[in-house]
Amino acid sequence: MSDFDAIVIGAGNGGLTAAATLAKGGAKTLLLERHNVPGGCATSFCRGRFEFEVALHQLSGMGDEKFPGPLRSVLHGLDVLDRVEFIPMKNLYRLVIPGRLDIMLPADRNGTVEALQKRFPAESAKIREFYDLVYAFFNQLISVFYLRDPEASREKYPLYFKYALASSQEILDEYFTDPLLKLTVAAYWGYMGVPPRFLTFSDLAALIFAYIEFKPYHIRNGSQALSNALIETFMNNGGEVRFNCGAAKIGLRDGAVAEVVTDRGERLTTGCVVSNISTPVMYNELIGIESTPKEKYEEMRGSTIGPSSFTLYIGMDCTPAELGIGETTNFIAAHEDMDRAFTQMRDIDEPAMILVSCYNVSDPGASPDGTCQIAVVDLQYAEPWLAVPPSLYASEKYRYASKVLDLVERVFPGFRKHIEEIEVATPLTHIRYLGHPGGAFYGFDQYAKDSRLVNPPVQSIAGLFHAGSWAAEGGFQPSLTSGSSAGRAALKHIGKRGR
Amino acid sequence: MSSKDFMKQIEGFDRAREEMRICRKYGIDYTVEKGRAAHLMEMLHPRVLHLRVGAVIRETATASTLRMVPVDGYLPPFQAGQYINLFIEKNGVRTSRPYSISSAPHQTGYYDITVRRVENGFVSDILLDTVKPGDEFESTSPSGNFYYNPLYHEKSMVCLAGGSGVTPFMSMIREVTDRGLDRTIHLIYGSRGEDDIIFHEELKDRAARYGNFVYAPVISEPSKSCSELSGFINADLMRKVLRDTGSKTFYLCGPSGMYDFCMPELEKIGIPARRVRREMFGPPRDITAEPGWPKEVSGAAEFSVSVRGGKAVKARAGESLLSALERAGVVVPALCRCGECSMCRVKLLSGRVFEPRGVLLRKSDRACGYIHSCAAYPLSDLEIML
Repeated sequence: MSDFDAIVIGAGNGGLTAAATLAKGGAKTLLLERHNVPGGCATSFCRGRFEFEVALHQLSGMGDEKFPGPLRSVLHGLDVLDRVEFIPMKNLYRLVIPGRLDIMLPADRNGTVEALQKRFPAESAKIREFYDLVYAFFNQLISVFYLRDPEASREKYPLYFKYALASSQEILDEYFTDPLLKLTVAAYWGYMGVPPRFLTFSDLAALIFAYIEFKPYHIRNGSQALSNALIETFMNNGGEVRFNCGAAKIGLRDGAVAEVVTDRGERLTTGCVVSNISTPVMYNELIGIESTPKEKYEEMRGSTIGPSSFTLYIGMDCTPAELGIGETTNFIAAHEDMDRAFTQMRDIDEPAMILVSCYNVSDPGASPDGTCQIAVVDLQYAEPWLAVPPSLYASEKYRYASKVLDLVERVFPGFRKHIEEIEVATPLTHIRYLGHPGGAFYGFDQYAKDSRLVNPPVQSIAGLFHAGSWAAEGGFQPSLTSGSSAGRAALKHIGKRGR
Repeated sequence: MSSKDFMKQIEGFDRAREEMRICRKYGIDYTVEKGRAAHLMEMLHPRVLHLRVGAVIRETATASTLRMVPVDGYLPPFQAGQYINLFIEKNGVRTSRPYSISSAPHQTGYYDITVRRVENGFVSDILLDTVKPGDEFESTSPSGNFYYNPLYHEKSMVCLAGGSGVTPFMSMIREVTDRGLDRTIHLIYGSRGEDDIIFHEELKDRAARYGNFVYAPVISEPSKSCSELSGFINADLMRKVLRDTGSKTFYLCGPSGMYDFCMPELEKIGIPARRVRREMFGPPRDITAEPGWPKEVSGAAEFSVSVRGGKAVKARAGESLLSALERAGVVVPALCRCGECSMCRVKLLSGRVFEPRGVLLRKSDRACGYIHSCAAYPLSDLEIML
């Protein structure tokens, strides 16, 4: 008799949905979290009058009650919909290149097409055709990939077979001429971490289709509210959670999961582990290089650690309107060259493209009356930060933050004068709190070669399941969804059917 | 057709496969990542610092500086104004207290912490009466966000200190003057008597030598021969010392009573909230005197706290839940001990607690019944989850 049917390591998005799924399915489950608060990225922190959202900008895949998206179904199954309020946004984003481009796209297919046609009249017909292609392609993808049509063939789904692994840039180039238009259409590339040249059309189409059809959402009281609600579901179904308690080791017997040793040295027997930590840390530290099947390292060799970010959490002593902020989601680009912007993610000289989220626009309660809460994100790889000596770390943070604020000021003049609180996070901060190599909250880079179409996941250790961004793609929806899938697979493994 | 087979018919499949094969052949050996993140964090934010007392420096009759040197030779960098939470063990009870670092950040050989005796202070008595060079302690790495932030603070800083609240400012003053930084500091430092002023000689000396540092001690109970300013740090006094109050950021550090007094005074001279930075302050000496305390509960009332999956613990209403747990040997992580950092967060499953002002609780934490145990006082029997 094992101590637990299953042990979930890490209470990030994927660990939380996995744990809740397991507990609801009747499995005696333990959730270990080395921090004192659940959520991983899905958390918040308080400074002065403000509670800052750490990671969520636009939750995808929700949809509304009449037209629910895939994520809504997952969360419904975990009983959190009546305890957490999801707030839809009307618009996708405003995109600005100071002095050259300023456009807003509504979360509506026709509205987006019209907004683009108005700004880029010369390419009017092609704009319509492009969105037709995105929709037709994505509908085929749904049939083949999600609904697993047994009669899938090139003849039946020609667009899917032609474009699923195609470079998004090639399609943008095929349809459009103006580089500003290409940037406007593909501005969401930052949510995946690789620019259109490397982004499969499946991924770009998914971003466009999902955000338009299911709308972007925010969560009342931030993503911490969802994390706390998932913990409640887990505990209400008999789950046991230990905060401030990490896993030190996953012990195997005859190649199968046999036990977990906590960082307090406690040995707990179980036949099933769901890991919600990074893949390299799981194999290197928890399972151990000697016990890890060689092919797992072979598999990892081909992938590279994804980006992290430089993020400013800012509390303002004025309303969004006083700053001229009319949208929740604002992309500000210094230029339109997305490949160069990707290169700039590896230096700390000049920000190329930043995301300015002002939560109060869609949720006035995001901070006290007369104030607003803003997060500014600049995707960055960890490398340049690893080269900063500890003694210069603080001054480098301020130096680069100042450059980021300069770019914000070009669109929202007078911004600095209203700062009441500010906290700076770098890729090193993400390494510290997530424990991921490179602070890579999206997991491995997602090039075409890394696509799950090309590398279907292989399980090689019996009883070991993965949840979170390292197992799926990065972002809230994929992490939350991957956890519930891992939880279901784990239930099957331990012979529980789930409820 | 199996799913694997039709995947192969996707255009570009073979190319992507081949790319992956080559990348795996020449790719990254992730075994070298082992321990890397942990090692990196040890340089910036170690989980535990092992410190040894290098020297004990008597500052006043009631205050001493403990010069803490690293046992393993390395101290992480910090920003002037940050604190460490020092762990103390006595008679089997492990507790902790946050102390601002009073030495400058460019002094990398040691951290100075300056301790003043607190009436009936369990910890200050130990540190002032029994600690000697060679004694070893554990602490957290430097924490907190009470420091000069060049992104939005003015280069002209006004530091309002009360009693031992001068310690974070000492670090700032030493840094700005020693390093010749392009900032000015006005220190208005309130003490009860002239003998209570900590660092008085050094402050006078620095003010005489550096044009960008102005020192104004203020004595509330002056002796007859006292030549310093007397009274409290009010609007008139600030106007007099500062002359011009514009384009300045104000920093406050002292006992909670000083905040209650100074905040309205700052408002009187027209300082907007965004230009006032406050260091956290510890629990009030008498929690039952706090506004909102239920009169029917005496501070001496004793309750039982049962920890889910653990033992039952006795706790007095007048003492924080964290202290009661520590006294009973229950380990709860702690950092700021002022209700802000959330390190000591626990879930209240049943019962009632009193939470003083200044506790920063996440909204969803409050909704789900989480409390910060350093700033929660039992008002009934409790059941909690760690």
